[in-house]
Amino acid sequence: MTSQVMEEGAPLRRRAFLASFTKNFLPAVPFVLIFGFFFLFPIARLIYVSFLSNDNNFTLSNFRTAIQEPYRTGFINSIKIGVFSAAIAAFPGALAAYFIETRGNSKLRRTIAVMSGVLANTGGVPLAFMFYAALGIQGQLTKILKYLGWDLYSGTFSLGSFVGLLIVYSYFQLPLMIIVFSPAIVSLRREWSEAARNLGANQFNYWIRIGIPLLFPSFMACSLLLFASGFSAYATANALTVGNLPLTPLQIGGLLDGNVSAAQLNLGKALGVVMIVISACAVIPYLAIQRRSAKWQKR
Amino acid sequence: MAKAIRMKLLPPLALTLLLLGLFVFVPMLSAFEYSIRTPATGGYGWTHYHWAISEEDFFHYIFRSTWLSGVTVLITLLILVPTLVWIHLSDSKIRGIIDGLSLLPLVIPVVAFAVGAQISFPEFVQNTVLELPFLYFVLALPYAYRSLDIGLNSIPLKTLSEAARSAGANWLRTIISVIIPVIRGSVMATIALTFALSLGEYTLTVLLHWDTFPTWVTYVAQDNILGAIAISMMSLIIPFIILTAVTLVIPERNMQGRK
Amino acid sequence: MSSKSLSLRNISKRFGTVNALDNFNLEVGVGELVALLGPSGCGKTTALRVVAGLEQQDNGLVMVSGKDISDMPAHQRNMGMVFQAYSLFPNLTVEENVAFGLHMRKVNKHLRLKKARELLELVGLDSHNKRFTHQLSGGQQQRVALARALAFEPEILLLDEPLSALDAQVRVNLREEIRRLQLSLGTTTLFVTHDQEEAMAVSDRVGVMNHGVLEQIDSPDTLYNKPSSTFVASFVGTMNRIPTQISNGMVEIFGIKVVALKRGQESGNVYALVRPESIEVSRVAGAGHAKIITRSFMGASSLIICQTPDGSVIQALMPSHYSGDLHPGEEVNLHITLNEVLVSNV
Repeated sequence: MTSQVMEEGAPLRRRAFLASFTKNFLPAVPFVLIFGFFFLFPIARLIYVSFLSNDNNFTLSNFRTAIQEPYRTGFINSIKIGVFSAAIAAFPGALAAYFIETRGNSKLRRTIAVMSGVLANTGGVPLAFMFYAALGIQGQLTKILKYLGWDLYSGTFSLGSFVGLLIVYSYFQLPLMIIVFSPAIVSLRREWSEAARNLGANQFNYWIRIGIPLLFPSFMACSLLLFASGFSAYATANALTVGNLPLTPLQIGGLLDGNVSAAQLNLGKALGVVMIVISACAVIPYLAIQRRSAKWQKR
Repeated sequence: MAKAIRMKLLPPLALTLLLLGLFVFVPMLSAFEYSIRTPATGGYGWTHYHWAISEEDFFHYIFRSTWLSGVTVLITLLILVPTLVWIHLSDSKIRGIIDGLSLLPLVIPVVAFAVGAQISFPEFVQNTVLELPFLYFVLALPYAYRSLDIGLNSIPLKTLSEAARSAGANWLRTIISVIIPVIRGSVMATIALTFALSLGEYTLTVLLHWDTFPTWVTYVAQDNILGAIAISMMSLIIPFIILTAVTLVIPERNMQGRK
Repeated sequence: MSSKSLSLRNISKRFGTVNALDNFNLEVGVGELVALLGPSGCGKTTALRVVAGLEQQDNGLVMVSGKDISDMPAHQRNMGMVFQAYSLFPNLTVEENVAFGLHMRKVNKHLRLKKARELLELVGLDSHNKRFTHQLSGGQQQRVALARALAFEPEILLLDEPLSALDAQVRVNLREEIRRLQLSLGTTTLFVTHDQEEAMAVSDRVGVMNHGVLEQIDSPDTLYNKPSSTFVASFVGTMNRIPTQISNGMVEIFGIKVVALKRGQESGNVYALVRPESIEVSRVAGAGHAKIITRSFMGASSLIICQTPDGSVIQALMPSHYSGDLHPGEEVNLHITLNEVLVSNV
């Protein structure tokens, strides 16, 4: 009696397991496989290899080198350009997003969204050449500015300098801010400003007590994302600088190409891991704040 | 002071658009002016554009970038649509995990990802250009996933699929002829976004030593900077026009109406 | 409490080509609760928003106790408003929300929080004062919104479909509570809704609006029993429209002649307007032949839907214990229980 039940129990349990697997996990398999192989695996391997010495023993020396010169300056410059380019673009971008979302009609909003998307995503190299043409020594914009009494090239300015890159970066940072900050504006309900007015608040009081407190977390979050974007930008910097401005992404690119040789084979991997850590410090808070403010929108 | 007075005269939206317009179009027009200069005669002409499109490589790389982007879009839709539909229907516990995974590429700088990719894949993967669409898929994933997720959230997915299933459609048919048409707005957005991103991707491509249209432009610039600028102008303006036209033609989803 | 009267004089408001309000007039007495009822797009919400100052009228005056406030900005008007939903500030706690109006009036912190707690007690939420609004249910949120609108002792309370986003049961409870509070505080109130049952249940007077015009404003009873227009008659409650002819001031309905109550120059072919509860269905012989299509049991009463030989569909509402043996498909006779009926032109 007992043995019969047990004999039947095993296949039943197996079938139940199969059914539950099919229902709960099977459809995720293609996604997990592809994502795992093409993303998680390379990142895991990158981290693993960054701890290996030239003869494949565990070591921290890659990281020790990574935080010394010239790589230390690379990190400082990259962080600086991330911070400054975010600081320059965040407020104007937020303001533009506010006016476009609250006063623009649907066609305008969609057109701006598309244009911002193109500028923020497909910028890169074409952007660099565009600025070379516009603000290079022979550029028309340079001539116009000179005519207006501002000679860009009277000092040490070049597009490959820190200031030059800041100008070019703002060209994708500002659209990026418009894209990522717009949802926060949309989630600001008209009822809130109307309720505030009804309760006796003038415009100033509404912004101080309600509007700014509601938008501020998103604003900070989006600024963090902009930092990460400026910090890790490669294409534009690669096309415009000529080795005069050490930036971590360019240093990694140089090591990867073999243009620069280092005593430690896995130094580039360690630099990559440090970049991931810095970038994560900005992007993870961004994601967390976005998720938290999504709660208000639901109810 | 003067600014404050102007603020009152100009409605804020008009002022915003004016400043944005100056910001975007002044460098662009200025670059355009540069690209039609002909040093030989000192005047203007389409010399560099003619040169660009008469280059055999021009169409070769446009073709290559286009089909790679097409494959990326295909991979994205084939993987994401069924996975997301299933996640939304089953309320599975792993939804949170997959949501989180889909955002992970935002955290990783592309340069670091490129280093990882270079040291990880077996040779048969590294030797085919088809590795690129899969990597582009990863780069586009945070945006593509979110866009489809929002689309699926805004429709009564459960009711729709149960209705289709009880009317005799199998899962494939349900997805193709019921679900995708209902969320076509966000599907189109996903396609546009993934396509644009793949078409313009430079960092990963160049670091993995592949040649596509964007990397070819930098190669051209070494010999013929004016030609490279002409090509850059085309590659900024053409997607601008196409995508703007496409979004204005697609009707806005009525679900996202604002009060 | 310093409640005031409200009057709207010849208000017009256009949105593009749409006339939201067309020479609109309304008087609300001190301490009175007046509901504005109408189909969507009839202008009722616009009227409320003009009163609140959230919309500027093109023409006409808004007066509070005889004083013209048409040009006063919204934040100086001293009116409390409850919105449809989602109007609570998500960055403030429940008590900070309720105290917001007093804060704007520079009442010190101690006093305004004390007042806020008093009001939260009135709406039964005093234990929730430290929570954030997204932790509350929809009904609780609207209670807080009500407390917030009343906390600074407004001259006039404005309710913009405050119950429409809630579940049926919560809705009934909350509307009773609104009425109870309004009566005890004596606040002059304007209540906009598309739900006639809601309007009838809580108001002193109900104004029915259509196309930006006030069709009729009267007590719920008058509105129901003596509608002044066909629109009001058919919008408020259910109304049968029975085709008949008028002659010598009488109409014949189901073989019985009754007095026709004319409002204008109705003559010849007309519709007699008869409420379902004024029609009886029975097997007793008569001239009102009909066939039962369905009978819906609704508790104390039942709704019987019949079709007459000429094809018109008639609804009759009868006590359930008189109609229990009537079944679909049965041939019956209809009788009218009134001796005068409203008529309207075909």
